[in-house]
Amino acid sequence: MRDRLKEAFDQVRAEEELKEKTKAFVRQKTDGRARQKGSMPRRLLPAIACLVLLLFGGGAWLFGTPTVTISIDINPSIELGVNRFGQVVTVKGYNDDGAALADSIQVKYRDYGDAVSQILANQKIAALLSDGAVMSIGVIGLESAQSEQILADLESCTRSQENAYCYSARPEDAKAAHELGLSTGKYRAYLELQALDPTITPEEVQQMTMREIRDRIASLSDENRAGAQPDGHNGSGNHGSGKGYGRQNAEADEGLSIDDR
Amino acid sequence: MRNEVEVNRAIEEYADMVRRLCMIHLKNYADTEDIFQTVFLKYALRSAPFESPEHERAWLIRVTVNACKDLLKSFFRSRTVPLDELLEHPAQLPPDHREVLEAVLALPSKYRDVVYLHYYEGYTAPEIGRILGKNTNSVYTLLTRSRQMLREKLGGDEDA
Repeated sequence: MRDRLKEAFDQVRAEEELKEKTKAFVRQKTDGRARQKGSMPRRLLPAIACLVLLLFGGGAWLFGTPTVTISIDINPSIELGVNRFGQVVTVKGYNDDGAALADSIQVKYRDYGDAVSQILANQKIAALLSDGAVMSIGVIGLESAQSEQILADLESCTRSQENAYCYSARPEDAKAAHELGLSTGKYRAYLELQALDPTITPEEVQQMTMREIRDRIASLSDENRAGAQPDGHNGSGNHGSGKGYGRQNAEADEGLSIDDR
Repeated sequence: MRNEVEVNRAIEEYADMVRRLCMIHLKNYADTEDIFQTVFLKYALRSAPFESPEHERAWLIRVTVNACKDLLKSFFRSRTVPLDELLEHPAQLPPDHREVLEAVLALPSKYRDVVYLHYYEGYTAPEIGRILGKNTNSVYTLLTRSRQMLREKLGGDEDA
């Protein structure tokens, strides 16, 4: 009986059509998910998407956030935000001329060295410089290797311009300057001028060229010196101190000493 | 979740066994298709690995038998149906085999599994007990009773 049963059951086979239908059904029901072994479980996809967004967002933040600001003042006052990779990510003009200059140059996403060279080579700036205008270039950032590197680069880059000088400043100075609507370079000059002439307003300074401010400082300190001498005081202590922060390079000192005369 | 290659391999390997279990439980071919889909979808969705091919085979038997029982529970069906309704091509079946299969189908449903698993798949009574969740002694009783009934129907060799 065992053999008869075995033979009889042997006759019963799954029909090919039945097998194919079942395969198609399972494939459709599992939606091809089972196709690739070891492929990413679907539930992990949102987490991976978040990670990608985070990395992308983080990258964008790293790239898009300026770590150092380069403030350039001549009369156009303009500030370039430089990210940690040394690329210019923001360009802002701090007076009408500055805004016009910012619109006319293409320095965004360029290396800061290229950007400053381009600004120095700008027709209007070049004309002002050759006309004896004073240019200040400030590096505003936290004390970091990047700030120092940029300052050193800019110093070498402006060495050929005898009326250009470089300084470094802290972000607090830039903040105070921006609150008055001034660029950092103008703000420093404003503080110097204000010490000599308390009636000066930020609005007046905003529209003056650096040369005009320097000349004004020079003439006021001359007046002070002249007025102070009979009393035996030396009023020149007000000038050139830079309010105790920043540093000026050789050209700057030269430029100032010429102005002082 | 098993991949498509694994599922297709299982279908090729176990389809005949599942088909026979369906035949001894179900009343028509359409139900067989349902059971195939249920069983192999369950197989595809199962993530735990099988310890051995024997484990896999036993798992498929249990799932198939349970699926068949669930299907039968769902509505009233007559106790037996002609073999012709169970197979796609019943005419191809030789008369002798046909007689044997009809005798098996004529058994009350609780006997059919043990007959198939013991006589065709070669499982012992304790193994059948484990797969179907039955007491070993009950399996022995079922086997003895079914042997008697089949002998009555088919006339009897004494070798079983």
